[in-house]
Amino acid sequence: MAAPLPEVQLATAAPPPLPSLVNARQLRAQRLGRALRLWVPAGIIILILAMCFLLPLVTTLPSSTNGNIIYNNEAPFSPGHWLGTNVQGVDIFSQLVYGGQVAFEVAVSVTAIGIVIGGTLGVVAGYFGGWVDAVLSRVLDVLIAFPALVLALVIAEGLGPSEIHTIWALSVFGIPAVGRITRGATLTIRGLPYMTAARLAGTRSWRMIARHILPNIMPIIVTFSLLGIGVVIILEGALDFLGYGIPAPTASWGNMIANGQQILSAQPEYVLIPSIALLITVASLNMLGDALRERWGTQ
Amino acid sequence: MTDALLQVDDLRVTFPVGGREVRAVDGVSFTVEPGQTLAIIGESGSGKTVCCRAIMGLLPAGTAIRGSARLRGSELLGLSDAELRRHRGSDVAMVFQDPARSLNPTMRAGVQVAEAITTHRKVSKREASTQAVELLRLVRIPAAERRFHEYPHQLSGGMRQRVMIAIALACRPKLLIADEATTALDVTTQAQIMELLLDLQKELDMALIMISHDLGLAASYADEVVVMYAGKIVEQAPATQLFGAGGAVRMRYTRALLDAIPHLDRPAHTQLPIVGGRPPDPTALPPGCSFAPRCQYAEDDCRAKMPTLAEHTPSHRWACWHPCEEGGAA
Repeated sequence: MAAPLPEVQLATAAPPPLPSLVNARQLRAQRLGRALRLWVPAGIIILILAMCFLLPLVTTLPSSTNGNIIYNNEAPFSPGHWLGTNVQGVDIFSQLVYGGQVAFEVAVSVTAIGIVIGGTLGVVAGYFGGWVDAVLSRVLDVLIAFPALVLALVIAEGLGPSEIHTIWALSVFGIPAVGRITRGATLTIRGLPYMTAARLAGTRSWRMIARHILPNIMPIIVTFSLLGIGVVIILEGALDFLGYGIPAPTASWGNMIANGQQILSAQPEYVLIPSIALLITVASLNMLGDALRERWGTQ
Repeated sequence: MTDALLQVDDLRVTFPVGGREVRAVDGVSFTVEPGQTLAIIGESGSGKTVCCRAIMGLLPAGTAIRGSARLRGSELLGLSDAELRRHRGSDVAMVFQDPARSLNPTMRAGVQVAEAITTHRKVSKREASTQAVELLRLVRIPAAERRFHEYPHQLSGGMRQRVMIAIALACRPKLLIADEATTALDVTTQAQIMELLLDLQKELDMALIMISHDLGLAASYADEVVVMYAGKIVEQAPATQLFGAGGAVRMRYTRALLDAIPHLDRPAHTQLPIVGGRPPDPTALPPGCSFAPRCQYAEDDCRAKMPTLAEHTPSHRWACWHPCEEGGAA
C-alpha cells in the first residue's frame, strides 16, 4: 500500500525580495507618534482641568454671574477681563472657568452613575445569562431606543432645571450605554478558558465577577467612559442651550452659547469662545480614549 | 467494582441542534481505579471531551445527560452548581488544552494558585502563599518565589501549563482530568509535562484521565486505553495488551490510527497510510457500524448492523464484526 511519492521538481526561481527592514529612525518616529497621541490630549485635558478647578483657588477671578453694566461689551484683552465681558458686563473668562467646572461635574457624575448602575446591570446580565439577561437587556434596549436628548428634555422639564436634575436626566442616556458595553465585554471574558478553569476550581459567582471579570473588562470601561464624558459634555451644553439644563444665572458653556447666539451676527466671539472650549475638550477626550484603546488593544 | 474511584455507566449526552438531536456521547461506560492512568483516544468530535465535561458538569444548559457517573459511590450527574462546587477542585480537577488562555491575564500567577487553595480550605492569605510557592516547586518551576509574582504573559507555554497543573493540584484531588493538556505545547515540553504528570500521579496517588488524539502518547504513558469513535467506545484494553509485545489491536479503527503514525523504520519516501474520509455526521449516523463508511474491510453485515462492545478476550473489549487477526498487522 506504500506507493512511492511522485518526483517533485524543486523550485529554483529566486525567492521574492525580503521586505526592507524598518530602520531605527522610522521606529523611533513611530514610538514618538504613539507617545504624542497619548500625551498631547492628556496634557490638554490636564490643562483644562487645572484651569477650571485650580485657577479659581489661587487667583481671584471676576464674578461669573454678576457684571457691572459699566464694563459691558468690553473687547477681549481689556484690562481685568482677559477675554472681555458680555452685554451684561460679566467676565467671559470667568464664565468659561466656572462653566467648565459645571461641565466636568455633570459629565463625570453622569459617567460614574453610568458605570455603577449600568456596569452592574451589564455584568450581571452578561455573567448570569438566561432570563436575567433577557429581562435586563430588554430594559436597556428600551432606554437606548428613546432619543436621548428628547428623554432628557422630558425629565428636565418634569423635575425642573438644576444641576442635579441635569445629571439624572443625562444618566438615563449613560446607564444603558455603559450597560451594553459591559454586557458585551463580560460575555467575551466569560467564554474564555480561565473562566471555566476558575469555575472548575470551585470559585463562587461573586468572586468570579470581582476577581476575574472586573479586572479584565476595566480597559474597555475606562476607554468607553472617556468617550462618554465627551458626549455628555456636548449633551449638557445642548440641554443648557435649550434652557432645560443649568438654570440661567449660573455660568455654563451651553448658557454662554445660548446668550451669544442672540447677537451672533454682530459679535460672533460670544458664541465662538465657549464653542472652541467645548470643541477642544471633547476632541481631546476622544483622542485620549482612542490612544488608550490603541495602547490596551481593546476595541 | 466497589473500590472504583470513578465509575461511568452508560453515559449518553445529546445536544439539541436546530430541532435535531446530536448524540455526542452514546452509551459510554468505563471505570477508573485509584492511581490508574486512563487514556481516552479519539479524533475531533468523537465525544471524548464532551464525555469529561459531562462528568464535571460543564456542559451548557439544555444538554440532555443520561446515565450515571459515580465518584467513590456518589453520583455526580444532575448535581446543582453549589453541590458540584464541593467536588470541583477538591475531588476532581481538570487541566485544559490552551494554557495561554487558561490563566487570568490580570492576576499574578502565584496569586491564582493561592486562590485555588483558599477556595476550599480555611487558611490565612500568608499560609496560602507559602503553600502556593510549594506547589510551584512541586511542578518544578525554577525560581518559584520569583515566578509567583509574575503575570501569565511573562511565562512560557510550558511554564503556564505547569502553573495550571499546580492550580489543579492545589487541593490534592483524587482524580485529574487532562484534556489535551499537552497538545498546544511543543514536543520536548510535551514530554516534560507528561513525565511531570506521571511523577506527580505517583507521588500524590491520584488517578489520571488523559484525553488525547495522540495514540503514541497513550501507548507510552497510559495503563488503560479507551478508543472512542462517533460517541461510542470502539475498543478498550490495557495499554500493554494493545501495544505491548504479543498484544494486538483488534478494532479496525484503532489499527488504522496506529498505521497512520510515522515510524522511523518505515522505508523512506513512501506514502503514510491515512484514515480516508471524514468522521460521520453525528446527526445522521449510519445504521450499522459508524466506522464502516471509512473502513477498507467493511462488509455488508458491517453496514447493516451495529457491532456491540463486548469482552472478546479477557480485559480486552472491542466492537467489530471482522476484527484484525490476533498478533498480526492488517
